[in-house]
Amino acid sequence: MQEPIQQAWNAAQNKANADYLKRRTISIDPITRLEGHGKIDIFLDSQGEVERAYFQVPELRGFETFSVGRPAEDMPQITSRICGVCPTAHHMAGTRALDDLYKVEVPPTAKKIRELVYNAFMLEDHALHVYILGGPDFIVGPDAPKELRNVVGVIQKVGVDVGKKVISMRRRIRELIAYFGGKVIHPVLGLPGGVSKGLNPDDLPGFKQLAEDGVEFAKFTQQVFKDIVLKNPDYVKLITSDTYTHKTYYMGLVDEKNRVNFYEGQIRVVDPTGKEYAKFPVQKYLDYVGEHVEPWSYVKFCYLKPIGWKGFVDGPDSGVYSVAPLARLNASDAMATPEAQKAREEYFATLGGRPVHFTLANHWARVIEMLQAAERMRELVNDAEIAGKELRAIPTATPSVGIGVVEAPRGTLFHHYETDEKGLIKKANLIVATQGNSARMAMSVEKSAKGLIHQGKADDGILNMIEMAFRAYDPCHGCATHSLPGEMPLIVSVRDASGQIVQEIRR
Amino acid sequence: MTGPRPRILVLGLGNDILGDDAVGLLAARRLRAFLPESVDVVESPGAGLDLLDLLEGYDRALLLDAIMTGTHPPGTILEFSAADFRKNDAPSPHYAGLPTVMQLADSLGLRFPEHFQIVAMEIENPYEVVQALSAPVEHAIPALVERAKVRLAPWLDELDQQTDS
Repeated sequence: MQEPIQQAWNAAQNKANADYLKRRTISIDPITRLEGHGKIDIFLDSQGEVERAYFQVPELRGFETFSVGRPAEDMPQITSRICGVCPTAHHMAGTRALDDLYKVEVPPTAKKIRELVYNAFMLEDHALHVYILGGPDFIVGPDAPKELRNVVGVIQKVGVDVGKKVISMRRRIRELIAYFGGKVIHPVLGLPGGVSKGLNPDDLPGFKQLAEDGVEFAKFTQQVFKDIVLKNPDYVKLITSDTYTHKTYYMGLVDEKNRVNFYEGQIRVVDPTGKEYAKFPVQKYLDYVGEHVEPWSYVKFCYLKPIGWKGFVDGPDSGVYSVAPLARLNASDAMATPEAQKAREEYFATLGGRPVHFTLANHWARVIEMLQAAERMRELVNDAEIAGKELRAIPTATPSVGIGVVEAPRGTLFHHYETDEKGLIKKANLIVATQGNSARMAMSVEKSAKGLIHQGKADDGILNMIEMAFRAYDPCHGCATHSLPGEMPLIVSVRDASGQIVQEIRR
Repeated sequence: MTGPRPRILVLGLGNDILGDDAVGLLAARRLRAFLPESVDVVESPGAGLDLLDLLEGYDRALLLDAIMTGTHPPGTILEFSAADFRKNDAPSPHYAGLPTVMQLADSLGLRFPEHFQIVAMEIENPYEVVQALSAPVEHAIPALVERAKVRLAPWLDELDQQTDS
């Protein structure tokens, strides 16, 4: 099946890049272990040096058309159905937008249940990245032979028992999500003003055990990361190398004490020196977040509106900002839980203080966030209020505009709905998490390509190093591309000036 | 559930609001009427490690899914075996992908289907949020169901023999 898919992909690529075909091209196509699919095109000049590098994903159309005229209450379901990768994040952002739409105060019990489910989801999703998606880069190692840079290599390195632990933890967390949400992939938990299901006190001991085990698991993961990554000087050198560094703004939700919060809070932005640039309620997001369009990409590139789009450049004069674990730690003053805070202090001490500009430090920041998610779960299940009876405040206000924002595993996720007075959708806008990193991700890919490819030489190892630049962001284009073009091999093509393939690397 | 879990799984994969991507789900739904109760028929929008959860504990699995090769007319039925995926060690848009999930199951010694059949249909448009299939895909669903029945027949015979003995 390789041949026809390769041909199809090449045909589509040729069409999309007709303007560029006269130049020599290296393509990483599609990107391995990435959620959704995409491709990287690297264009060389006549000397074989990198001229530009592009990161592209297909476009998803019709979301707004599909939503218009539907009851706003359907939005948490509809948005979670678009993407099979982070349905809980969409569901929660949609639910928060409904709270705002109906100006309703969520009872404490309902809020705690939502937070429990959401932190459980963060723990699971991050664990998946650490061990399965990003793990091959660090746990196995960037220089390992390609046949080991996969889950088999990870299991070999950490042991079968750890592999089983990851799978078992994931399953138990998903059982928790299903307990409240009915279904993991299409949860039906969130209602405007509350939740659809409460916690039976008889079931609490099981959840307490899960939270304890979750904390242990997250601590264990810190240790794995320290032993394998931080004790290896080569890895640390790689993390802190200039190739993987960008000095941008950073964004994340924070609580009233400027601590990391995944579920609610104000949006805080810090500048490249770590100083607070802005802090604002989510409803003001349009004053700060702009979307830039490039002719070569369907992805809209987010930037800070007051600063403006100055191109794909670093620094305080460029509106480019970043989201997700690295950004959340930079944009906050502390973690919200004690063990995670300790881990955070060690992180900043090791990497030279806040802010950390090393893209690959996302992996470490993700491990620290796992700990906060698990500790927060433990706090919530030990709070008697979580088993309370008051699950919902009934909305009475006439709806018009609702904006909901959560921190998805991959960054700040915005849902914005406008309705008529009956609550039927007139307008719906989403800014998905990966968009917040899209500009910086494009910069990372280009910078690493320029740093690593010279005189037209791009072997498998070099291309993997370039892929690492964006894999650290854990980008997900699942909501942009859910289609199934089947299992495609990774094909790297080097083209000569006439567009002919002169070299091909397959994984 | 009482008694042992059936060992045969029919798994329809897809997204019911992304146009043609729903075809695997719809085919599984139709197929259910033709199969004995001992065969599990599951429709799922899942991807990646969800496949591990869905497939674990089965001995035979038939997957119904949408595919885009771009080289066949929409509605064309294409078939693959597990070996087609295994030999690639290939990346997948379903991020962890079937090869990764099979590797993981192997590495961890999980009970996983020894036999896979993948019956897929070439689709036209999975890039639009819409609950409608393109005409060629819609018209080809009965053929997809028939092909799946043919592939399932030997497994059902095997099941009958085991039940009789």
